[in-house]
Amino acid sequence: MSTLISPHVLLAVRDNRQLLLKWIVALLVPLAVFTFLWNGEAMANQVLLGLFVGVSTSFDTITLIFAAIFVVVFYAVIITLSGYLVAADSGQRSVVDLWLDVLVYILVPLFLVIGTGLIIGLALAALVWAIYLYVRSRVFTKRTIKSGAMLSELAVLAEEQRGELMRRAVLGGFWFATAFAVVSLVLDLIFYVVGQLPDILLVWVVLRTILLPIVGYFLGYVGGLAAVRRTIAAKTNGNGRGVTNVSKKRRLEVLSTARALEEAKDLVPNDLPLSSTGAQRFYLLLLTAFILFYPFIDPFLFGPGTGGRLAGYGDAGYYVILALGLNIVVGFAGLLDLGYVAFFAIGSYTWAIFGSTQWGLLTGLTIPLNTIGWYFWPMLLVTALVAAFFGLLLGAPTLRLRGDYLAIVTLGFGEIVPVIFLELDQYTNGANGIVGVQSPHLFGVDWSGFTPGPYYYLIVVLIVLVIFANIRLRDSRLGRAWVAIREDEIAAASSGVNLVNTKLLAFAAGAFFSGIAGAYHSAKLGSITPDSFSFGDSVIYLAMVVIGGIGSIPGVIVGALTVYAINQFILAQLDTLAADPASFLHAVSAAIVQVFPGFTFGNVRNLVFGVILVIVMIFRPEGFIPSARRKRELRRKEEEGPEVGSLDVVPGAPGFESEMRIE
Amino acid sequence: MSLFLQELVVGISTGAIYALIALGYTMVYGIIELINFAHGDIFMIGSLISIVILDLLGITTTSQPTGFTLLAVMLAACLGSIVLCAILGMVIERVAYRPLRNAPRLAPLISAIGVSLILEDIGKLWKGVNNVPFPQIFPQITYNIGPVNISGVNILVLVVAVVLMVALQWFVTSTRTGRAMRAVAQDREAAALMGVNVDRVISITFLIGAGLAGAAGFVYGLQYGSTIFSLGLPIGLVAFTAAVLGGIGNIVGAMLGGLLIGLIDALSTLIPDTVLPHGGTPWHNAIIFAILILILIFRPSGLLGQHTPEKV
Repeated sequence: MSTLISPHVLLAVRDNRQLLLKWIVALLVPLAVFTFLWNGEAMANQVLLGLFVGVSTSFDTITLIFAAIFVVVFYAVIITLSGYLVAADSGQRSVVDLWLDVLVYILVPLFLVIGTGLIIGLALAALVWAIYLYVRSRVFTKRTIKSGAMLSELAVLAEEQRGELMRRAVLGGFWFATAFAVVSLVLDLIFYVVGQLPDILLVWVVLRTILLPIVGYFLGYVGGLAAVRRTIAAKTNGNGRGVTNVSKKRRLEVLSTARALEEAKDLVPNDLPLSSTGAQRFYLLLLTAFILFYPFIDPFLFGPGTGGRLAGYGDAGYYVILALGLNIVVGFAGLLDLGYVAFFAIGSYTWAIFGSTQWGLLTGLTIPLNTIGWYFWPMLLVTALVAAFFGLLLGAPTLRLRGDYLAIVTLGFGEIVPVIFLELDQYTNGANGIVGVQSPHLFGVDWSGFTPGPYYYLIVVLIVLVIFANIRLRDSRLGRAWVAIREDEIAAASSGVNLVNTKLLAFAAGAFFSGIAGAYHSAKLGSITPDSFSFGDSVIYLAMVVIGGIGSIPGVIVGALTVYAINQFILAQLDTLAADPASFLHAVSAAIVQVFPGFTFGNVRNLVFGVILVIVMIFRPEGFIPSARRKRELRRKEEEGPEVGSLDVVPGAPGFESEMRIE
Repeated sequence: MSLFLQELVVGISTGAIYALIALGYTMVYGIIELINFAHGDIFMIGSLISIVILDLLGITTTSQPTGFTLLAVMLAACLGSIVLCAILGMVIERVAYRPLRNAPRLAPLISAIGVSLILEDIGKLWKGVNNVPFPQIFPQITYNIGPVNISGVNILVLVVAVVLMVALQWFVTSTRTGRAMRAVAQDREAAALMGVNVDRVISITFLIGAGLAGAAGFVYGLQYGSTIFSLGLPIGLVAFTAAVLGGIGNIVGAMLGGLLIGLIDALSTLIPDTVLPHGGTPWHNAIIFAILILILIFRPSGLLGQHTPEKV
């Protein structure tokens, strides 16, 4: 082994040892839990047995291949991440703090997901996070904490320092992989002794134990490169003469000083490496791999029932799109919209009418049903544009209205549209709705209801597109104009923002995305009725946006998934749980039935949901993940005292009374 | 024509109930700029409370008290509903809205929606999912003026509403607390600097608004003969529309708006099949909101709302 590794790898410097221990424990525990308590190892073993040994497993070859790719990517990224984190940590934050964070943010969700399934687990985890953050903020106000020194300038790391970072990264990757190899070896030997491990896999155990440290060494190097690359970006910014990272530099140039400082903190080793932008790249990689291969690894992780779960995620997906669309109107532009469901209804009906026999009945232009699915792809855009057009239509009369007058008009629109769909039954088939809505068509893809895989991938692609569009919109000239009118309409107008166009575009953009969601919804469901679009739905979308963190794209996604999970999974399953004598809810519901005969949890679904809404708002009014801009605003507000209007007007002068106004 | 006049009477009576509820929306909005979505459900709870009080007094759906007993029973139910709803409103403010006084603007709104869901399910747990009959204790007298029939209940509803509104108007314009309320509505910080106890004033606002909703719950039960747990949201939305129509934050505006919405509601049933498919009745909410949007296009601050200059 020593021939492969240079001496300084084995002899860690005293300062680095603590850092290594800190990160190896922090990462090893969750990884071991995933591998051995959950099904990580089982998945790897099944793949090995199925692909290389030829033992027949219950999974087909394609599933095994994709699962194998996922396993390789997953472990490689984690080891690389360990190298990156060891390098990027400034070491100022205490070990306990980090381990607590890992416990709450990684271990608790992991256990919840293992115990209750993906969506419910994540939703419960979000609640745990909210409580944790609240308690933490309470503790921190009691205990004054000396924060690490703020970066006074965009310092550039010297060559020597960067060499040190690289060395630390390699150490991190190597020792982390070694530790993991040792832990795995010990556990596998135990499994072997108790007879749970087939003999043939011993070859793999030996091979892995030798390979992991070597792989760790090189992946740690890669992680180090990632960390150093970010410090080089700081140099580009500091001196203004880089060639590699021009876009980053340009971005920093146009940002305010405050935001530039914030970004700069991320470019050099920092106190919170887990939340640095460098680490976020790794998370994104993990997330991408997970989402991309999810249909294939799901049976390994959660057992049978993949089809039903995928269908559920397909439904959760269009809520994400709806929440992102509403976020443009409410979050970016600050226009309260209480009737967003109207656009969703319009989008749904547009595809439902076109994609069923209804179109032929209305226009006489009959399209054969077996080809109509091909029109789904262009119609996706048409549907979105139709919804956007109605967004403009709603926006036009509301331009003069301010604040909550606007809210009531949107609310009215949301009430009118379903009534129109209900009562114009010669076009929409009234209360019976439209049935037989066709699925999309694509070469070689089976869109029938028994295989929800295609819908899963379709919604993933749609969500990615919508997120991309949202980020581009937020950072565009238009997005900044929206924020400007949200903060102060008059100031924005005085700065040259065209209020009329900007507001109309906000409504149109928001409606556009709901149109996409609507087309997907009606195609997936296959039928559509007007009573599935009510004021209650608009309220749910709004709750998703506000609970997630208004104006924040990741926040809104989390909020949408959380609210959907609470509403559709957890609260819907309470009765099933209560019927199971093993669960603690059984006793609870038995006690309640004593007081209220005929009690079911189905009857108090809204009550529980309402209580959750109130509690979340009281303890975290800014939402789970507040947008960075809003966070800055809140911070600045605390620093500034009350602003007193012009004091230079002498009492008694004309204008004095009107000028003295304390906002 | 007689049908038109008949619907006019119904509309005025319905409008009075809407106006009573709209007052709660408009007062709360005027003072803390919150759309109190739970208000409609307080109204629903009020109607259930009235039923329970009548029940406790031994009144069933068939009993017909007369004279002094009738008056006493009605006063007890009405006042009981007012007092309990007022307390409920105050508690809701204390628990769900006050902690969010300085939170981002939409946080209290979501909290209000949460409270609304809670109250709705409480109503459901309490009285079940079906229509709950409301004892028709008021004598079924009908006055015939020409072709138009005016029932005693219609007159009673109008009288109760007018009395309460006049009392409210007097309270807001002529008492010390009323003046404090107007001060807080105008400028909360300045009012606090002048020694107004802002928290107390806001509590009182919720108390009065919820009390009026309680009264509305009682008269609604008298007029329609039944109530249901899901009543709060649809009626609340229409009442809120009435408040906006009149100019939100404006008390006289809420009364006027309620009356107008009641009239539109009643008259929309006269629209024949030839104009709208299936006649006007299923469209009545759509018509209300369409008229609201039309009015707001021409008067963006509602009928009586002042066009306040922008604060910069």
